[in-house]
Amino acid sequence: MAKLEATDSVVFGISIDSPAANNAFAQKIGVTFPLLSDMNRKVLKEYGILKMYNVQKEEYDWAQRTTFVVDKKGMIQSVEEEASAINPNNAVAVCTKLPKK
Amino acid sequence: MRHARLKTMLFAAALAGSLAAGAMRAQQDVKVNHTSLKVGDMAPDFTLLDNQWKQIHLSDYRGKKNVVLAFYVLAFTEG
Repeated sequence: MAKLEATDSVVFGISIDSPAANNAFAQKIGVTFPLLSDMNRKVLKEYGILKMYNVQKEEYDWAQRTTFVVDKKGMIQSVEEEASAINPNNAVAVCTKLPKK
Repeated sequence: MRHARLKTMLFAAALAGSLAAGAMRAQQDVKVNHTSLKVGDMAPDFTLLDNQWKQIHLSDYRGKKNVVLAFYVLAFTEG
């Protein structure tokens, strides 16, 4: 996290959980960045990462684990999906390469 | 005789039902797609509530900060 802040970047976690659930989650795992609620799945749809999960034969749509890096111009600089999205090092590396201004 | 016709109708209904379910499943599979956003695309703006019930606009960070958007599956789960 400190590494990311040094690159003039902020981090947002995004899921379909409510702000209340996210706050409890944030306290439990001790995250320092905001967790955003996409309760109506609007952003997930817009970003095209809504994924069906089969739980006990019922289907639910939640986010696919994905990390985007958006630069200061609002342009996407990196897209990582699934397993590689868990490791933050790549996002840190991308941010480090971005211009400071 | 009447019984046989009833059986046929039930069979037809069941068949139609399973076909419809199949079609729905196919439609859902289409939805399980990868993001169409690529490096170089503009990130769609959004306004979402953070865990302090504060509105966060992606566009507020334009020209100020790089933003890492980490979409996770669900709170209280791994990853």
